[in-house]
Amino acid sequence: METARSKRFPPISIRMEHRLQVTGYFCTVPKKGERNVMENSIKKQHTLAVETISLSKLYKGKAAVSHLDMKVQEGAIYGFIGRNGAGKSTTLKMLCGLARPTEGEIRLFGKSADDPITARRTGCLIESAGLYPHMTARQNAIMKAKCMGLAEPNAVDRVLEATGMNNTGNKKVKLFSMGMKQRLGIALALLGNPDLLVLDEPINGLDPEGVREIRQLIQHLNEDGKTFIISSHILGELSKLSTHYGIIKDGILVEQLTREELEQKCADYFQIEVNDVKRALPLMTENMPEVTAEVCDNANIRVYGLKEGSGLNHLLIENGVQVYSSGFHHMDLEDYFLARMDGTAEK
Amino acid sequence: MFNLLRMDLYRLLRSKSVYICLASLMAASVLCFWMVWLVDTPEGQKAAARIGMSGIVEIEVEDTRTGEAVEPGSMLEGYDTLLMFRDIGMDGGAYVSIFGIVIVLFFCSDYSSGFMKNIMSLHRRRWTYIASKLTAAAILDFCYLAIEFGFCLLLNVLFHNLVPAAPASDVLFYLGLSFAVTMGFAALFLLACTFTRSASAGIIAALVLSTGLLVALVSRVTGLFGLNQWVSYTLYYNQTYAPSVYSGIGDLKGFAVGAVFLALYAVLSAVVLTRKDI
Repeated sequence: METARSKRFPPISIRMEHRLQVTGYFCTVPKKGERNVMENSIKKQHTLAVETISLSKLYKGKAAVSHLDMKVQEGAIYGFIGRNGAGKSTTLKMLCGLARPTEGEIRLFGKSADDPITARRTGCLIESAGLYPHMTARQNAIMKAKCMGLAEPNAVDRVLEATGMNNTGNKKVKLFSMGMKQRLGIALALLGNPDLLVLDEPINGLDPEGVREIRQLIQHLNEDGKTFIISSHILGELSKLSTHYGIIKDGILVEQLTREELEQKCADYFQIEVNDVKRALPLMTENMPEVTAEVCDNANIRVYGLKEGSGLNHLLIENGVQVYSSGFHHMDLEDYFLARMDGTAEK
Repeated sequence: MFNLLRMDLYRLLRSKSVYICLASLMAASVLCFWMVWLVDTPEGQKAAARIGMSGIVEIEVEDTRTGEAVEPGSMLEGYDTLLMFRDIGMDGGAYVSIFGIVIVLFFCSDYSSGFMKNIMSLHRRRWTYIASKLTAAAILDFCYLAIEFGFCLLLNVLFHNLVPAAPASDVLFYLGLSFAVTMGFAALFLLACTFTRSASAGIIAALVLSTGLLVALVSRVTGLFGLNQWVSYTLYYNQTYAPSVYSGIGDLKGFAVGAVFLALYAVLSAVVLTRKDI
């Protein structure tokens, strides 16, 4: 059936097929290594690595972060998501002691964040990596090691090797590419073997190989029990890593959920656009008791639990309901995030 | 704090500016000694004539008090190594200016490089950072003063003992006094850096404050009301008019002024650093 409307809009099913491919590449299905990460996180999910209690930050009277109650369980990889200016970096800065909260409290591993021993259990990479440009990678790492009072002689070599920065020789940091600086920033954050790593856009500027290496490094460290809070706009990459998510909007933490909860919310559904929702819905429920239908608006219905869509299309058409478009959907983290931002994810 | 200090010293030793500024102070000393030797010694006059420096040979050196022409050698009457050292770099503010530039570059590079984030995420009590920076500045100040004075002694020997050596007690007293006052300046520059986080602003502040420009300007205004007593309590005044010889308790004023300003500016820097986010 071809109507004026279906001529104007290309069939959604094609777009959905494309999305399915994209989704399959970027997201959700835990691979072998990731399974270990999840198992490990489940083991450690009894204590909180980070807890903020009504954390707020005002800049000139305007709230950058407002009454934020974040809970990050020990051993988790917490993906912290939000638009530009949502308050992510401000929150992470407060966690790392770089910004003073206007109100509220931060507890790291059950203790005050100002406790010097607790601070040493935290490694940070906030925004760009802070490095002395006239020094080499090794000298920068030695500086941080001295700042921490690390006595272990191999600590610097170990983190440089872990991040692939051990072969930069006498090259000064000012001659490094952005990706190299970022790797070195991660190396510095890893110094002292911290239990909590706060990484703000850690894969910015990295090449695909570098992204993969950093991802593997994070997974490996997480298997060792380290907790991560990662903020990134590369949601596909974040979804490969994260065991938990926090979504911040206009300084307010709108949602915290686990990977399982997100998967549940992003489950496959069949969306069908019809001319008469009121007629279509009873037809579905009467003839297909195994599916669950949900009305989105006055033209769209989402059907969960459907294996194959052509039977439903035939059923509706045979009963005089016009079908404009139909197709399977699967939301990934990006879709969910965008839906959450414009408020439609609740539907 | 000691961890931070170890880190600061590691960086200081690898900072080019530390060596460049020290070299420029030493170069100024060489130039001054050489010029005085040329003008004020018969050997120097001969050497000047030999290399065609007719301008120097024809100079009639005058006594600044009487205005009368004096013989070569008499210009340095009453001078010793300490007075030479003072005239070369200390009294005119050259030493404080150059030392100021070094420490401003040292302080501000933490901000400009972003390394401050690494430091502050570990050392959340800001006063430890201020204490470490001032201790590093004190070590640098001590080394600079010792090297610069030692170099003046060496130059004096190389220029055939141009002036007699000053008594060790006077040297120690004056160097101690200078150290106290320059540390007051260092704390002031640290405050400027903490507040502005800009090396260029810090360097301008260092030059304006160490050369006495600000003191001169303000004292002109307050002088109109006969209120100029405050000038003797400034760092600049105590640097320029510091006594070379200890003759009584009043000569210790420079130590007190340096210590008070050091404490005051250190506290203010810690307050500013605590209140401002990184």
